[in-house]
Amino acid sequence: MQKQLAELMTTLNKNQRLSKLAISEKGFLFDPETGQSFTLNYSGMQTLNHLKRGESLEDTAKHLADEFKIPHDTALNSIEAFLIQLGRYI
Amino acid sequence: METNGHWEPPYIQPHRFGAINKFGKRSVKDNVVTEVFGVSINDLVAQYGSPLFVLGEESLRANVRKIKSCFEQRYNLCAHGWSYKTNYISAVCRIMDQEGSLAEVVSNFEYEKARALGVPGARIIFNGPNKSQAILERAIAEGAFIQADHMEELRKIEAIAGKLAKKVKIGIRLNFDTGFTEPWSRFGFNLESGQAHEAVKYISRSQNIILAGLHSHIGTFVLEPRAYAQQVRIMCELMKELEGMENIEIQNLDIGGGFPSKNALQSIYLPPEQAVPKISEYADAICESLLEGCKYRKEMGKDLPRLIYESGRAMIDESEVLISSVVGTKRLPDGRRAAILDAGTNLMFTAFWYNHPVKLTREYFGIEEETVLYGPLCMNIDVVRNSIQLPALNAGDKLLIANVGAYNNTQWLQFIEYRPNVVLISESGESHVIRWAEDLSVMMAQDNVPPHLEAKGKQRKFGNSSLTVLRPAASL
Repeated sequence: MQKQLAELMTTLNKNQRLSKLAISEKGFLFDPETGQSFTLNYSGMQTLNHLKRGESLEDTAKHLADEFKIPHDTALNSIEAFLIQLGRYI
Repeated sequence: METNGHWEPPYIQPHRFGAINKFGKRSVKDNVVTEVFGVSINDLVAQYGSPLFVLGEESLRANVRKIKSCFEQRYNLCAHGWSYKTNYISAVCRIMDQEGSLAEVVSNFEYEKARALGVPGARIIFNGPNKSQAILERAIAEGAFIQADHMEELRKIEAIAGKLAKKVKIGIRLNFDTGFTEPWSRFGFNLESGQAHEAVKYISRSQNIILAGLHSHIGTFVLEPRAYAQQVRIMCELMKELEGMENIEIQNLDIGGGFPSKNALQSIYLPPEQAVPKISEYADAICESLLEGCKYRKEMGKDLPRLIYESGRAMIDESEVLISSVVGTKRLPDGRRAAILDAGTNLMFTAFWYNHPVKLTREYFGIEEETVLYGPLCMNIDVVRNSIQLPALNAGDKLLIANVGAYNNTQWLQFIEYRPNVVLISESGESHVIRWAEDLSVMMAQDNVPPHLEAKGKQRKFGNSSLTVLRPAASL
């Protein structure tokens, strides 16, 4: 799974794919490369915004764990699963 | 985007275009309730646990009085028979007895229960296709009004009445085609084929039984009041024919039940507020048809028959709710949200055919999505709602599932899980347990382990020891 995640992050960062995604403050996501749109839940929106700013998975998990008062491992596992889901769409 | 601090794993949902729902998404987010029948939901769960059935006495009595009033305003001589099978929790049956309803029972057990609850035999209507010799003897001796289902039963009743040297007034159940509902032809005597007339002839020749009632039941959750008008028309025509031919006077015209509640059948798109007619529309159709069909009696200066209706669901469905807690959440592979509840089809048998209303018990923020609500059973079919728009639920959240008063406290399953407490909120707002939650001793009370199967070193104490003593010697 770690190898899959590493490949995914490489793909998402390639050609600034991740940073080009447009995310509204209500969780609406538009992918200008494919023209597809999505809805993010709150934690999904936070996660993508952190990653767009270039933060690591670990740091993003720390932000979520602090905000929701959940264990760091829980946040990290969820973010990794989210990225795999994201990879199927983007 | 707002959040109320509740954690939901990050999720992305692609927008799909072209899937049009002409009714739109029905949101439950604005439908937050914190009290039920005037009592805090959180307090009830803290005191009695989850899941929890809660019955509102005030609501039930008000509904019963409203429905009875609808009929009594239109026809002088009415009686309501409380259909025990709808909900035979003792406190419910006592409320219905206090409200003046007869007890409508359909089995040995229900008859015995009605008597144990203090209902005199003369206030019991005894229906159903399986009445044993012993219970018929008791019912006849105690003056219950029996409505016979088949010829064998008629013969039994006649023999018992003869033995007791009594003239026993009975009714017969009929079945016929109204043209509106699927005929329930397995019950009673068929009119079109002549079985009903055959039964009447049999009774007429008897020295011990007297035909005093006609009974039929045209179906369940009948959404068309005209079906009842037609039912009553057919029954009145038969009544007139019989009273002209034989020395018969029909005193009871029993139209059964089948009036719908404000639940949403899964097969019907319209919400119940639009699909379900008002009870007054049924009363109009029935009483107008009855008055028309009984004109001949008035002309002859005879009394009108008593109208008996055996409504169960319409009386109680909306007066009971089920509080259930979320025990887990997940994403299904197709992207839908799912929540696992501590109550499923084991407690809500009616979830198989209704989309029960589900209400939230706290405020939520965030996106509402299509969600599946599963029950706790290890069965794929244990689905409380197959598709409902809900915000992200968390473990521990409580949901209120409405309109569960009919057929759930009787058809619930003792399967995998214990059945929970049932609580009554009295008219003064006090809560009373009216059926205790099950525990291991209840679940094992009827079990018996033969000596050669006993676990080594275990004391042989199984369930209720007094019940064990009653077992036949061979099994001990």
